Amino acid sequence: MVLELQKPRPIWQIMFSTHHTDVGLLYLIMSLGFLFLGGALALAIRAELFLPGAQIIGDAMTFNRIFTVHGTTLIFLFIIPFASAVGNYFVPIMVRYKDMAYPKLNAIAFWMIPPAGALIWLGFADFTWYATPPYSIISAPGPAADMWIFGLKILGVSSVLGAINFVVTILKCKHPDMSIGQVPLLAWSFLSSSLIILVAIPTFAAALLMLLTDRLGVTGFFNPAMGGDPIAYAHLFWFTFHPEVYVLVIPAIGMMYEIIPRFSRKPIYSFNSGIFAFVLLSIVGFSSWAHHMYATGMSFTEKTVFMVGTLAAVPASAMHVYNFIATMWNGRIKFSTPMMWAVGGIALFFSAGAGGVANAAMPLDFTTHDTYWVVGHFHLFVMGTIAFGSIGFLYYMYPYVTGRMYNEAMGKIHFILSFIGTILVFFTQHVLGLYGMPRRIFDYPPIPEWIAMNQIASVGAMVIGVSMVIFLVNMIHSAGKGEPANPEDPFGVGGKYYYPFEAKNPSH
Amino acid sequence: MGGHSNWPEWIYVGAVVAIMCWVGAEAWEAERLVEHVPEGAEIIKVTGQQWFWTFEHEDGTKEIGELHVEKGKAYKFEIHSTDVNHSFNIHDYVVLMDAIPGRVNTVWFAPDAVGEHDIQCREYCGLIHYNMRGTLIVEEPHS
Amino acid sequence: MKGIVGLFLILAVMVIVPAVEYAFAAGDEPGEYLDRRVIIWNLFFRMMTIAFVVGAVVSGTMIWQVWRFRESHPKAKPTPYEGTDW
Repeated sequence: MVLELQKPRPIWQIMFSTHHTDVGLLYLIMSLGFLFLGGALALAIRAELFLPGAQIIGDAMTFNRIFTVHGTTLIFLFIIPFASAVGNYFVPIMVRYKDMAYPKLNAIAFWMIPPAGALIWLGFADFTWYATPPYSIISAPGPAADMWIFGLKILGVSSVLGAINFVVTILKCKHPDMSIGQVPLLAWSFLSSSLIILVAIPTFAAALLMLLTDRLGVTGFFNPAMGGDPIAYAHLFWFTFHPEVYVLVIPAIGMMYEIIPRFSRKPIYSFNSGIFAFVLLSIVGFSSWAHHMYATGMSFTEKTVFMVGTLAAVPASAMHVYNFIATMWNGRIKFSTPMMWAVGGIALFFSAGAGGVANAAMPLDFTTHDTYWVVGHFHLFVMGTIAFGSIGFLYYMYPYVTGRMYNEAMGKIHFILSFIGTILVFFTQHVLGLYGMPRRIFDYPPIPEWIAMNQIASVGAMVIGVSMVIFLVNMIHSAGKGEPANPEDPFGVGGKYYYPFEAKNPSH
Repeated sequence: MGGHSNWPEWIYVGAVVAIMCWVGAEAWEAERLVEHVPEGAEIIKVTGQQWFWTFEHEDGTKEIGELHVEKGKAYKFEIHSTDVNHSFNIHDYVVLMDAIPGRVNTVWFAPDAVGEHDIQCREYCGLIHYNMRGTLIVEEPHS
Repeated sequence: MKGIVGLFLILAVMVIVPAVEYAFAAGDEPGEYLDRRVIIWNLFFRMMTIAFVVGAVVSGTMIWQVWRFRESHPKAKPTPYEGTDW
């Protein structure tokens, strides 16, 4: 039983537990905490950019620190831990095993994150989430920068441990009656993303160490003054973090694969094409990293290779969209809150992907690189697709976690406001980028188009902010006072759910 | 699962692949045209520094923050940096290239109208990155 | 199925070959300076034309099916799987 809040336990019992649902709950609460912290920083950024000149945030240094920590927090402390929360709850149940393969390792992987988060937040570094040398070596003030490096190092180890756990749980601990082809798509998404983590993260882990020794002055890997090459860092970084994009997006797609058939009252259209697209995406994802670096002086041939590698990832993503549309076709769709988030997420996934194709076309890089176009583009992914899928799934698992239903009306208002806000902010930022506004700037000259579009984006951000307050109130209030959920079928759509409450928690 | 035809999905995937081929071919062609530097382009050395731009013309004249060029001539920028990464950008002429210490990157353009345009830094370079701006001034040919 | 794959191979080749030929035929001609703004922005607008057409088809399909297959639609009928343990 995982009806956590209906049978209260002392908090230390959850904190020191190694049971997968308890670790999942810890992941869930921590990641949501960081969602609100990172979101608050985003609102500060948007408020500052509402008008040219310094208003809210006194100086450029503070602003630079804020957007650095905003990005680091939401990627590493919200999206990834949230996916781990979902994986912890659902993967063992989906493969019909009693727990994760290594329960203690699972708890360790979780408990590495709070100290890493503390390092990042107490340090408040200013060199962007990309920590590009030589700036990060010769210019970025310490100890903030060093704390960021150590924080990321710990997070990297934590995700590798988590990934090993998922891979072993799925491949070795699945029920003997179950073939790998019968493992549900949500678990498949964790298998694919965990394998990507295992291949990709060590590269960045090495780059971080080199960055640290460079900062200490004992080496000069990336320091041109000592004969190093900053572009080498860019390659190492993006070799990890372009595939990491798929690490972020694949579990969110997996969550949609759970939600959409459920509320369409139909099985998934093509299970095999879903698996195929996951596996293809996790392989092809490794062929495109240097499309982030067209402007660093790459040769025509290099650019062409990485453009082709990037375009090659598109058919796999498109297969997911097809699968979702075909699943909803001829269904009888119940638009409960999770379904609204999932469908909204797919729509925005398409827009983000189309923008990505334009980015991949090498000459367009001259117009869009490092402008607000890029900001709008990847936020459509991380907010429009990944956060939408995740929040939808949070609503979906809410009755199982708390034993109570959230407030449906508030959930729908949350969706509608967030959807409108997301379109206002991030579509506008695409256009703003085409007008040439660079990223990561604290202040901008009073060009009328820039002001107008920044103001639209800021208003959109405030709309999202309001919707998130509604979300927070809904979550907290419903956990204690919501209607008791029917654990067999909380959404009234029938069929066989994967209930976390099937998990036998020894503490209950 | 099962029992449905795979036809539509194959057609769909084929259409996606065809569009991607088209995007790739068009982009390849445009990039090839854009990267071809005309002969006789005048070289301007661009240096990025925290937080201003320095320009050195072929005849040795230096300018800081302002760049004077003549209409109808082709110019090739040789861009480098003395401290951290910057990105040299004249958005109105779609000129963009990173300035990276230890490297010289090139990009060329040919201004075709008299006027003033913004030069900015597009790669994060620290405290005053937001104000690392300059002006491109295109003048009538002198001779 | 092989027929379809073959068909698409032929179609793809028919799209790519002229583009590549055109590209090589263009040569490295001197003379008039190319205007990079024209080349790049033209490419951008051509791609946006395709992107918005495809986007209209995809989101149009989604909007239509969200409207048509909602459970409150007058013609909504139970799926064959309802009531089973699918």
